[in-house]
Amino acid sequence: MVEIKIALVGQPNVGKSHLINSISGATLHVGNFSGVTVEKKEVEFERNGYKLKLIDLPGTYSLHPYTPEEKVTKEFLINEEYDLILNVVDSNQLEKNLIFSWQVADLNKPMVIAFNMYDEYSRAGGEIDTDKFFKLTNIMAQNVSAKENFGLEELFEKVIKTYQQKNTPRIYYSEIIEEEIENIKEKIKNCKFDKRFISIRLLEDDEDIYKIVHEKPWFVELLPALNESKKVIKNEYDNDDLKEIFFEERLALAKGIVSQIAKKAQKEKISEKIDKILIHPILGLPIFLLVMWIVFQLTFSVGALPAYYIGEGFSAFGNWIGNLMPNGLFKDAIVNGIIPAVGTVVMFLPNILILFLGINLMEQTGYMARAAYVMDGVLKRFGLQGRAFIPLISGFGCSVPAYMAARTLKNPKDRLITMLVIGFMSCGARLPIYVLLVSAFFAPSIQGDVMFAIYIGGALTGLVVAKILRSVLFKGEPEPFVMELPKYRFPKIKSLLFDLWIKTKMYLKKAGTFIALASLTVWFLSSFPRADIIKEYSYKIKHAQGIEKIELKKEMNQKILENSYLAKIGKIIAPITKPLDLGWREDVALLAGLAAKETVVSTMAVLYNGGSSSNKTLIEKIRNAMPFTAAVAMIIIVMFYSPCVAAMSTFYAEVPELAWRIFYTIYPNVFAYFAALIAVSLIKIFS
Amino acid sequence: MRLNELNMGESGIIKKIHAKEPLKSKLLSMGFARGERVKVLKHTLAKNTFDVDVNGINIALREEEAREIEVEKDN
Ligand SMILES: Nc1nc2c(ncn2[C@@H]2O[C@H](COP(=O)(O)OP(=O)(O)OP(=O)(O)O)[C@@H](O)[C@H]2O)c(=O)[nH]1
Repeated sequence: MVEIKIALVGQPNVGKSHLINSISGATLHVGNFSGVTVEKKEVEFERNGYKLKLIDLPGTYSLHPYTPEEKVTKEFLINEEYDLILNVVDSNQLEKNLIFSWQVADLNKPMVIAFNMYDEYSRAGGEIDTDKFFKLTNIMAQNVSAKENFGLEELFEKVIKTYQQKNTPRIYYSEIIEEEIENIKEKIKNCKFDKRFISIRLLEDDEDIYKIVHEKPWFVELLPALNESKKVIKNEYDNDDLKEIFFEERLALAKGIVSQIAKKAQKEKISEKIDKILIHPILGLPIFLLVMWIVFQLTFSVGALPAYYIGEGFSAFGNWIGNLMPNGLFKDAIVNGIIPAVGTVVMFLPNILILFLGINLMEQTGYMARAAYVMDGVLKRFGLQGRAFIPLISGFGCSVPAYMAARTLKNPKDRLITMLVIGFMSCGARLPIYVLLVSAFFAPSIQGDVMFAIYIGGALTGLVVAKILRSVLFKGEPEPFVMELPKYRFPKIKSLLFDLWIKTKMYLKKAGTFIALASLTVWFLSSFPRADIIKEYSYKIKHAQGIEKIELKKEMNQKILENSYLAKIGKIIAPITKPLDLGWREDVALLAGLAAKETVVSTMAVLYNGGSSSNKTLIEKIRNAMPFTAAVAMIIIVMFYSPCVAAMSTFYAEVPELAWRIFYTIYPNVFAYFAALIAVSLIKIFS
Repeated sequence: MRLNELNMGESGIIKKIHAKEPLKSKLLSMGFARGERVKVLKHTLAKNTFDVDVNGINIALREEEAREIEVEKDN
């Protein structure tokens, strides 16, 4: 089957992700992380005997890239092999979007345009004549709605037709410019790129293209002609800025064409009205804090209900399996090692899903960008900028996509500072640890507030650290802040559910593989060596009666644990954490947390619970075994110390400098230790 | 007059973008072109951040960036 490889491009927020999700019968290779489109996503599906392969490129305003993501798009469009460009355009912003389309059209590749959000546009009285658009530009176009699922099949028919006919755009600029393009084109000899494209980009001072061609043998001859042409254009337009000249040229072209093909829609007024309240100069900030408070309250209180049943379910499952299996090491490993640990982790799935739902809703409705606007003034004071808010808030979900979202910050310093404090935003995987400790040590009436305080406390500390980093390590101007505020929209339920489904799948997969393995390891380390102890007790147990038998078994298990490899490891680091009142079990759990934060709770379950995955008994046990100060210390350490391996490797992948990697690896742990030490000392002084 | 000097509800025509590259291209690509009308919808209490409308598109920007945009105020 013939494969058509399609580059999917568009300005940010035009609905590319929605379009991909709406294609029926498609297999989707969503990188690891959904949410903000940062990484490359690919979809494959069949239509009319062709295999269509869509590659989603990061949202891009212009081919004069500003952010690292935009560079990715540009590099892909210029250097990669693909058959066709599918450009998604927001019908509500035709002129602004088409300026980008013309730049893409210059590439002279087969191209199709999708006028998306047509549902909204036509409801507001707008109309687009795609036939006329084709006549004017030679680009086949289709009005579609990714949200209400219309026009997509017709769009793919046009894609196939464009591919078959090798139909390329015909976009012409004004005569003066076209003349100079011709002059330059003549001078370009052998080159794998399109000559017209190269000429245009050279004329508008595109440094990337300049770098590509300036080593060619024919460039020596081209240069004088190029300079001459530039001079002519500058003179004609009475402007020294060629980029601006070309921009205005494209804007004029867009306006001209839009006036011929489109009936204007009525201006939407609702967003402005909602903004009157939500980003009110005085009310904006309190409203934002209230929204966040509600999200966390729901996460904690509603999420607790299903959690109980999931815990009970795993407990019952463990008993059932236990009865089916013959006694022995294998049964021990499954029933006491894996099932309770995986159960404890899965139990927190509802909490995590609610939190993600909250973040997704904010993103989909358009409130997220407002929050960045509202927060900018605050963040600026800490040496960050409003846009840093998005990676920071994503950090509450998971640090991995948060580190990647930091790519939207262009200035390397801003980016690095933001990335260094993302870890202080408590990720979803840390939630179970807080839930466990808070339920064990705080009265039910204040649990929600304590949780809120943990999250806000972590975030505020992160901001203060950012400020310190900014004034000590990174002096200099903060990055400019210019950001579009999209319209308010009702989210598409299917898309929200789809995102949650992917999160669930990933979480369960992690629970079933990585965490199962980790807890098996913890179980092994905590159950061996044990031959001597078993020998010693098996005789006693054999001859004991009733209650005594159970008591002896408990004693034996306790002894095995205390002599285990794990206890030895814990005891080595115990002196360090002694001032924090942490025992070796907590130490081991925290160490395990470096692999994945979920394993902190599962390790506690194995070490304290020795077999039961019921949350109730675990809470009872740690309440009896740990002093209050230890619980506080543990919470604080979890708030600040290094995130999991996955997050750390993402950071390493994003930050090439060795010095920063080392700094990032060490400082959160030192910080966490001393923060916990101070808190514990304070509690002791005041009680 | 610069964009940051406009008050809430006031509008003007863009005369010139003073920003340097690459910010200038960024502002252009978001629609801040000469001859377009821009209206200040909102700003934060301390006038740190602005919410403006250019060609029907809502854009948030800081005072520092707004200062780079020269406008002629409408009456
Ligand atoms: N009314 C309407 N809204 C849509 C349509 N497609 C997408 N949206 C909305 O537009 C917003 C942005 O959609 P996304 O799919 O996240 O946009 P994107 O192009 O992937 O954005 P980037 O991740 O920045 O590249 C969401 O709020 C969607 O609900 C559509 O066809 N009609």
